Amino acid sequence: MNQTLDRRRLLATAALGGVVGATGLGSLAPEAAFAAEPATIEPGAPDPNFAEGRISKISGSMLLVTGSDTVLHSIRITGGTSIWKLHPTTFDKVAIGDGLYARGVRLPDGTLAADSVWVNIVNLHGHIAAVGRNVLHLDHQGRRIVAHVVPDRSAAVYNGTPAVSDLSLLRVGRHVQVLGAWHPDTNEIDIATVYAAA
Amino acid sequence: MAALRGEVSWFCCGSAWGPCGTAGGGACGTCRSGNYQHAWPNTSDACLAITRPDRCGVTGMTRRGCGFRHYTTNLCNGARVGTTIADCGPQTDLFCGERTCCGSACGSNRIIDLTPAAYSAIASLSAGLRPCSVDTV
Repeated sequence: MNQTLDRRRLLATAALGGVVGATGLGSLAPEAAFAAEPATIEPGAPDPNFAEGRISKISGSMLLVTGSDTVLHSIRITGGTSIWKLHPTTFDKVAIGDGLYARGVRLPDGTLAADSVWVNIVNLHGHIAAVGRNVLHLDHQGRRIVAHVVPDRSAAVYNGTPAVSDLSLLRVGRHVQVLGAWHPDTNEIDIATVYAAA
Repeated sequence: MAALRGEVSWFCCGSAWGPCGTAGGGACGTCRSGNYQHAWPNTSDACLAITRPDRCGVTGMTRRGCGFRHYTTNLCNGARVGTTIADCGPQTDLFCGERTCCGSACGSNRIIDLTPAAYSAIASLSAGLRPCSVDTV
């Protein structure tokens, strides 16, 4: 708990100071970081320390995000913020128009000091309608999704086995879950991981 | 209900961007990605006919309706989150026998899907699947 409070205080301090650089927060492994976050939100309720939406403006280290429910969010990126966009990345790879989910600490002025930001992340279920060269065509809720295989990044998990880069076992008609990154304003995504049943 | 051990993933619902934009409010009509909510495979006869956890040998999945509370623990780190039912799912039988582990902590078969807000409270969204236990207290 002390670690949690210290971490939150450091993060908030960094955010309030507008610091983008090393904060000393980066040493926590992701699973350890999430373990350190107590769940105190009432089941069923919205989480004030979470935000989603699309980036409408980037100003310094601040993201202005329009929520899908039209609520506006100000999200502060600090040196301690972990950013994912298909893979762990840096703030300069974030762009206007990107979608995101963000988790952090809500500051008194309403700004969310981000601990983690997942940019364009999707987690889709669908059936493989066609397989092309470095691409899967998925039927997802009645819509076609074009899922691109990204060399040295895309991986497949076949029935819980360790992830492998060989996607050749994926077959038309199979049901899959695809974790990936959306190409804004298209029906295309890049594949991070495909989960396929046996 | 005794604690049920299996796998947890996440799904989007409510107003959303990108491919999630068609998700809607779920079977209960109340689902929101930013709320602490979840999908449960046994919310009704119609739901169970789709999800079919029995085909994977999953027993002890009690019938629960919209708004019922479950508590999910990420077996990788011990983090726990309380959520309410807002949708039917996951479709357990599509991944029968699937197994996810963190070291010696393992879970087999998909038993619950959390909203992004709930899942990100106990795991990174970029880790799409985690072993978990689910209970009611």
